Amino acid sequence: MKRIQIACFVAASLMAGPIAASQEEHSHDGHHDAITEHAQMSHEHSDAAGHEQDAHDHSSHDSRAQDPSEDAHAAASAVTLTRTSEIDAALALGGEPVVADVMGVVCDFCALAMNKIFSKRDEVAAVYVDLDTKALSLVFVPGTSLSDDTIAELAVQAGYRIAAIRRGDAALGSAI
Amino acid sequence: MKPALVVALALTTALSTSLTAARPVSYTGAWTLIAESDRQWTGALLHYTPSPKWSLGVRGEINRDHDYAIYSLHPTVLAKRWFGSNYQGNFYLHGGVGQASGVNGNPLGSQFAAFGGVMADWETRSLFVGYRSRYTDAGHFGDQFMQVLRAGFAPYEGDSGDLHTWLMLELDHRSSDPDSVTATPLVRLFKGQLLLELGYNLTVNQPLMNFTYRF
Repeated sequence: MKRIQIACFVAASLMAGPIAASQEEHSHDGHHDAITEHAQMSHEHSDAAGHEQDAHDHSSHDSRAQDPSEDAHAAASAVTLTRTSEIDAALALGGEPVVADVMGVVCDFCALAMNKIFSKRDEVAAVYVDLDTKALSLVFVPGTSLSDDTIAELAVQAGYRIAAIRRGDAALGSAI
Repeated sequence: MKPALVVALALTTALSTSLTAARPVSYTGAWTLIAESDRQWTGALLHYTPSPKWSLGVRGEINRDHDYAIYSLHPTVLAKRWFGSNYQGNFYLHGGVGQASGVNGNPLGSQFAAFGGVMADWETRSLFVGYRSRYTDAGHFGDQFMQVLRAGFAPYEGDSGDLHTWLMLELDHRSSDPDSVTATPLVRLFKGQLLLELGYNLTVNQPLMNFTYRF
């Protein structure tokens, strides 16, 4: 009888996974929408908790986005590109810089996962995950890029979630 | 790290040492080798992660107290992950089916075996709390329910690529054992692809050593 119970448990576990996965993927889809909104509006936030809320409440996000004082404050505190020798070398070649705020990156294994997934892409010339700022810094090969949606999907493959993406001058911190 | 050194470390761990899998589901396309030992079980698990939602591995483990081994297929499902800007929480379901066989002269023959349980953890860069449970049914070799609670802290916050150090306390409960509750202080070290845990069970005077290599 116990064996039957275990078999039922294991079967339920395996069925629960895809169900849970699909639910989370749905929420990721919502998050992609939020990221796209950020890119289109060309403003920055560094408060990831705020972004988590944004993913579920776009009306709230929209109203905050129209407040110039909040935008200025958020832009001033946004995380910028982490400079390493590899990042600097890629920048010197003219690659586009991107900074993405990542949810849940709290350990070196998390950083390793992000590094492994993004390093596999031919478009990526340099990658660094800063655990202090919870930010993914990317510099692309000149003439190439990855869309916000692709960056978000790659983060999901690594097991994490992107809260916001900044490009170009905003990523370098020179847009203010 | 050289592959030979990794294998040597894994074998050393498996031969001396707990059922602790740091991140039992990895990133898409990753292989993970885990060797672990506790006061009663010594085992190794090699798993592959085809999706960030689940992994599938092969596990071999020996119950040193009762002289039998279990060889099994071991799926793990990440049922839920909670994200925050400064924390991460995970809830996993794990289980396995395979065969139990007598070892070290145990005359009992092979028998179908299965196990299942849950794992959960919550961590920031400096705090960690984790729980795992497992019920094992190994037929005529016996059955067992175990559960483990862990809490720890990092004395400093390392960045990517640094050596990360954690100090932890593990409380282990096995109702069928004479020493049903034991305590093990341990240190967790990880750097890059490698994680090593060293501890000592103060209740039953047994070492603890866990090893994880991700590639």
